[in-house]
Amino acid sequence: MTPHTLLAERRLPAEIDTMAELEAYLNAALRLEHATIPPYLTALYSLHPGANSDARHLIRVVAVEEMLHLTLVANVMNAVGLRVDLTADDFVPRYPAHLPSGEIDFLVSVQPFSQAAVTTFLNIERPAKAPNESSRLLPRPDLGAGTVLAASPIDPSRRFYSIGEFYEEIDRGLRHLDHLYRAEGRELFTGDVARQVTAEYFYSGGGEIVVVHDLASALKALELITEQGEGLGGGIYDGEGELSHYYRFQQLQLGHYYQQGDVPGRPSGPPLDVDFTAVYPVAIDAALADYPAGSPVREAAQRFNGTYGDFLAHLTAAYDGEPRKLLEAVPWMFRLRDDIEHLIRNPFPGRPGVHASPVFTRAPEERS
Amino acid sequence: MILDDFVAFSSEVTGFTEFDLIGTGQAESYLRTVTEVVGERTLADLLDAYRARVTDTGDEQARAGQLTGAVLGDDRLGPIARNIIKLWYSGTWFALPDDWTGRFGAPGREGTFNASPQAYTQGLLWYAIGANPPGARAPGYGSWASPPLIPALPPSPVPQSVRTGS
Repeated sequence: MTPHTLLAERRLPAEIDTMAELEAYLNAALRLEHATIPPYLTALYSLHPGANSDARHLIRVVAVEEMLHLTLVANVMNAVGLRVDLTADDFVPRYPAHLPSGEIDFLVSVQPFSQAAVTTFLNIERPAKAPNESSRLLPRPDLGAGTVLAASPIDPSRRFYSIGEFYEEIDRGLRHLDHLYRAEGRELFTGDVARQVTAEYFYSGGGEIVVVHDLASALKALELITEQGEGLGGGIYDGEGELSHYYRFQQLQLGHYYQQGDVPGRPSGPPLDVDFTAVYPVAIDAALADYPAGSPVREAAQRFNGTYGDFLAHLTAAYDGEPRKLLEAVPWMFRLRDDIEHLIRNPFPGRPGVHASPVFTRAPEERS
Repeated sequence: MILDDFVAFSSEVTGFTEFDLIGTGQAESYLRTVTEVVGERTLADLLDAYRARVTDTGDEQARAGQLTGAVLGDDRLGPIARNIIKLWYSGTWFALPDDWTGRFGAPGREGTFNASPQAYTQGLLWYAIGANPPGARAPGYGSWASPPLIPALPPSPVPQSVRTGS
């Protein structure tokens, strides 16, 4: 019997028992939050300018909130003395990918705005609470194709029912470790507060940043992440009265806005205009190697790929003791937007009817 | 295809690559604008003159001379070519000079106008000076404290499609 199965048999908390295990979970959370951003941005910038303003606004809000979530996870890590690193070779998944939280019934693609993209977004953000305690963590069959980063970061043969349950595990782990540390006369939250990203460095980015310095603030940061994603206690709004991501996207399917007082599935607000034809048909899950060598589009895709890697290194520095660097990250993100738009408006060389797409996944080192 | 020819010519006279020009998302709109004002025939004459007299010239100096002689210095084509440059840079079509319309006929659309609601924000001007169009395409708080990022000139003034002969 391995230590992992021993852990799994324990009832509460199911998994996180040590700092190393907490680190594994928080690293998976960073990857999870980031993994949603390339698909959201690609769909967002695939919209023709001047059309689909409702969809543009909806997707943009969610993408920006995912950036907040990434920053909140970084704050929790810094608060317990862990280092944040977004530069590992496999930090950006190879799309199509399963989410790092381990849901296996859908793959996430980098693709243009479409019915399929909206369905994927709904899957990502689904408000799913496991029906009972024993079904929160499920056995996970061998998946074969597609990148699988982690399910349970500690026991890859098991997966969580939903992102909400994944975060629930971190919530329990933090409470448990905090209790354990206190019992031994130690302090869990020993991180230098100067490493925290504060509102000075993160502004108008989809909600209040939470500075993490103790258990209560750590749990508040995690709660903000899950509420923005899937609502508060199964409702369609979060604690701040904002519509959660799942229901935001559902409006695109149902063609109406939600308003206060609505029940799930029956938005009664104003109609919403969606035009799935006013979209650049960008290549789905393109890799750099798919672009003809020497073509200007290949060069631009390569340049973007390098710039995106540099950007993640810059963010890593910001999350690793230099929060001031987030200020420079903002103009940088706008330039990345321009680069993505330029790629998406160019035809994919040699593929009639298909447009170029940004490649976020780090390219394997070219051999010279 | 006329769009490809239009973009190749535009690349030659603006100093931006064809990738950059298509990347603005405005190529079709600008082609429509020019066609609407001067007509298909006159635009075809301009692109033909460019293709016949300029694209095969390898030497850079000789090329510039040919471009001036065949297009920019031509009484009928020159003002249109200059307007195409200004259109890409500013998103605005400027009214043709009175003596042009006096000699070559009334334009299909009078006056000075914006090519599209997006044209202002997509003007090459903003990329050329590393700035954002005021009031649009937000650059991020505090970005004005950093020096402008000005893109490098393309390695060759000759448009890619002309170089590769495609």
